[in-house]
Amino acid sequence: MNIQKILFLVVILAIIPAGPAVAHKVIIFAWVEDGMIHTESSFGSKRKAQNCAITVVDEQGQVVHTGQTDLDGNHSFAIPENTDSDLILTLDAGIGHQAQWKIPKKELITLPSVKDIQTAMKKKESLEQGPSVYKIIGGIGIIFLLALGVKFLKRKPS
Amino acid sequence: MHISEGVLSGPVLAAGAVIAVAGTSLGLKKIEYDRIVHVAILASAFFVASLIHVNIGPASVHLILNGIVGLLLGVAAFPAILTALLLQSVFFQYGGLTALGVNVVVMAVPAVLSHYLFLPLLGKSSTLNFTAGFLAGLFSILFSSLLLGAALWFTNHNFFETSFAIIMAHIPVMIIEGIITGFCVTFFLKVYPEIIPLRKK
Repeated sequence: MNIQKILFLVVILAIIPAGPAVAHKVIIFAWVEDGMIHTESSFGSKRKAQNCAITVVDEQGQVVHTGQTDLDGNHSFAIPENTDSDLILTLDAGIGHQAQWKIPKKELITLPSVKDIQTAMKKKESLEQGPSVYKIIGGIGIIFLLALGVKFLKRKPS
Repeated sequence: MHISEGVLSGPVLAAGAVIAVAGTSLGLKKIEYDRIVHVAILASAFFVASLIHVNIGPASVHLILNGIVGLLLGVAAFPAILTALLLQSVFFQYGGLTALGVNVVVMAVPAVLSHYLFLPLLGKSSTLNFTAGFLAGLFSILFSSLLLGAALWFTNHNFFETSFAIIMAHIPVMIIEGIITGFCVTFFLKVYPEIIPLRKK
């Protein structure tokens, strides 16, 4: 039993410092500035997606750029020449984890307005947002409501 | 362990969906009326477990708990895991909606197998209870890693290389889930034995 108590403590101590890091919500965010496309990739808002492959395709699915994120999860590259369509950036974060970001053609040829920047930042913030308590409680509530439904369907006729 | 949107090919997604639907139908059929609350409790635990992250060196992994869910629920683990994964996908963006079927198969099949492999070991001695729980937790993650590797292999990756990388990344989870499952089983046998189906027989 003493060994079990020690093991239990080890597990608790391993979990406590973990904090709010989110390892499996993969995010890629991209924007255009001075003829360059800049990207930021991460798992949630805390952990950077390091050394992950980035593939850029046009609307026809033709690969126009490939690259890799650095240790800060960033990758920048010049807008591919003769680009005449939206660009889709795909981040491959390994073992089944992937994320995409679309850059509209308009953003590649015109300077973004303040409103465009605000919209993009809001989208980035919403992507990076961790799970809220409401969602957790709501999810558990839905599970029990569904269980109630199954219980109702399986009730024995009196 | 959650496969994202756009990673897998159409046939793999379709096969996963068919197996998941079949497993869920069978699970719903087999759930005993008195055990529906247990299914909901364990589905909730599975739903929340992915939020518990463990930092190991530079890596961060999250709990899955498919071992304890499968060990205690058997085939009923399918609807429990399907519901929890669907909610994780919608609420937390963990895993793609189109990959839901494959994700269910990856996590529920090892869970159900652990029920048939390790449940018979329970109720004999406290050491064996903990060992059975530990093995169920460890085995479920190990087998899930292999199924994940297989799903990716069918799409375009190298099976052995991918599976090896997945197993290596999940070794800490296997050990931690083994310990957690072992403790949960011994705890339930003491304070809430009704949740262990073996005790009813």
